[in-house]
Amino acid sequence: MPTRDHRAVLVTGRGAICALGASVASLWDGLVSGRAAIAPATGFAAGDLKPNHVAEVRAPAIGDPDRAGAFAVHAAREALEDAGLLSDRDTRIGVALGTTLGGMKLFEAWTGGAMSGLERVPYYAPAVRVARTFGCTGPVATPQLACASGTHAIALAAEWVRTGQADVVLAGGADLLCRFVVAGFNCLRATAEEARPFDAARRGLVLGEGAAILVVESEGHARRRGASAQARLTGTGAAADATHMTAPDREGRGAARAIEAALAHAGLAPAAIDFVSAHGTGTVYNDAMEAVAIAGVFGPRAVPVNSIKGAIGHTLGAAGALEAVMCVEVLRTGVIPPSAGLHELDPACAALDVVRGAPRTRQVRAVLSTSSGFAGANAALVLEAP
Amino acid sequence: MTAPVAITGGAAVAPGGEPLATGALSAEVRERVGRVERISGLTLAAGLHALADAGVATAGCRERAGVVLGTAFGCFLTNAEYQERFASGGVAAASPRLFAATVSNAAAGELGIALGLAGPGITLTAGGASGTLALGHGAALAAAGDADLLLAGGVDAVGPALRSFVGAGGLALGAAIDEAAALVVLEPLAAARARGARVRGVVTGHGAGFEPDPVAADAGGSLAHAIGMALASADCEEAVVAAAASPAVRVLVERAVASVSGRRALRRLAFEGPAGHSLGAAGPRTMLRMLESEPSGTTVLIVDACASGHVAALAVRVGEPT
Repeated sequence: MPTRDHRAVLVTGRGAICALGASVASLWDGLVSGRAAIAPATGFAAGDLKPNHVAEVRAPAIGDPDRAGAFAVHAAREALEDAGLLSDRDTRIGVALGTTLGGMKLFEAWTGGAMSGLERVPYYAPAVRVARTFGCTGPVATPQLACASGTHAIALAAEWVRTGQADVVLAGGADLLCRFVVAGFNCLRATAEEARPFDAARRGLVLGEGAAILVVESEGHARRRGASAQARLTGTGAAADATHMTAPDREGRGAARAIEAALAHAGLAPAAIDFVSAHGTGTVYNDAMEAVAIAGVFGPRAVPVNSIKGAIGHTLGAAGALEAVMCVEVLRTGVIPPSAGLHELDPACAALDVVRGAPRTRQVRAVLSTSSGFAGANAALVLEAP
Repeated sequence: MTAPVAITGGAAVAPGGEPLATGALSAEVRERVGRVERISGLTLAAGLHALADAGVATAGCRERAGVVLGTAFGCFLTNAEYQERFASGGVAAASPRLFAATVSNAAAGELGIALGLAGPGITLTAGGASGTLALGHGAALAAAGDADLLLAGGVDAVGPALRSFVGAGGLALGAAIDEAAALVVLEPLAAARARGARVRGVVTGHGAGFEPDPVAADAGGSLAHAIGMALASADCEEAVVAAAASPAVRVLVERAVASVSGRRALRRLAFEGPAGHSLGAAGPRTMLRMLESEPSGTTVLIVDACASGHVAALAVRVGEPT
């Protein structure tokens, strides 16, 4: 099986849609300003759901009942345009698009009989919709690692590029809000009205929705067409807790192994990482677990950390992809957005240097993004300046 | 790192809706199989049998061992049960036990927990080609040194809700659907030899692609490319082709295979399907059959395709490499 240099995998374009807006620029502007886009749900009947605070996409262009698919197409279009590939019909482009519960709004409407749009119910459907919309003929798959799906989708794209399966891959994640999802997390007692990652008073996560896509491209292909690199995707790692279906390993061993695998893949020591994008859901156990895992790998308060879920909610399968979009902007600007919703750092998370209140500026050459999910899934990425 | 990847064991279970045969499993795993969702039970049974076939002990945590599972519909049956209760009983009837399993990686998670597999835990969905894609991804991870052992393959559980969905036009297969799980044990060849494992085959290449309109008269180019990728490193003059694709895309597969046959001698076998297509398990199940039936030294090409547009191919050299 042929392989390319693992450093020869680039990010050449990005697209995003979330509660902060329908573009990478609106995501970034909202994050840097510390704005939280969380409010009671309006897009579906939520009067009986307690809590019912969510981070909804309110872009008027998204009226499609296949919300996850529509989000993914929107983000893919922005990413392709950003990469200069929107009108390209010659490149064999793949799609690696993670989701956790993508087609559930349509599934809710399906009552067992014939219905239009049924083909958009399965979890693989958003990736198929993107591939058909843009005429993709490379590999298409939907990684399902629950809330780490978007992160592993980017890792899978890197593998396809390294092994020559594709020159370009649209990689990321998409997820949506609906009654099925909100009631489910509520019955697990995992939700709150406010998302306050790493805060002493955090009570749970707030669900969000959206999509993000990175254009992952081989360096040779990018060079031949004169495209600019926004970042290098140099490290990927995945590991399982293998302890519990919904609760994270209190010792953070699976998350730490995924981080260490990504660092080893990139050939970097922990000290080379200038910023960590945490999963940071705002649940008591996730954030404490991550503090153990991140401090265990990097040392106490050794690297700036943030979570963007206080601003855009937990977007499930899209979360890791939206965080990767943010990470590339951190590499480009040296600006680390603050963690919205964090007022008083939990002593259980005191080993983390969490950026709060205002953005922090520093030289950033390499970043790490980490994600975790149900069934003990963990995934991590290392991105470096080009 | 691009180490050759060996297949050292495998197992398929296809109970056809009947209770799973768990007599050969440990009491702890039997208990787990009895209380998890159907898809997880199928996966646990196939995974345990595959490890036993590979001569791998099942006790203890393995940080370098993982799971790569392909599934077309994953937790569909669980989603249907959760939604039915929620829709009829309201918020108070929303089940935390069921909701926790409304993620398609629940089966891989259950397998990882039961066996202490703490390496990569990955689930892929790619329509009916999910299992073949998972085998390719697993082989790539093992070849890159990301794991020392992977249980890789595919699974789908079938029940009335999924039959109703497929029958209503959710996915055109051209065949009835049949539940099954089929998993193999993948290891770097050197590691397999070091522990004295019986090598049943070596993965020599894989490819994947997408056919935006798989029933179009000119479709097949992407699948032909995927086949070419799978055979690029196979070092063979002839390959035996086994189609795991459903009958709905028979013409697509035949066209793609024919377009590649001009460069290599490809001997074709039957399609999976007439007796029931096993969705995500189809590719791995087909591969296991070929490992049993074909003589050592044969290159087998598994060709997979689905009306969803997903296509994949995997090349395996049967037997211990010389």
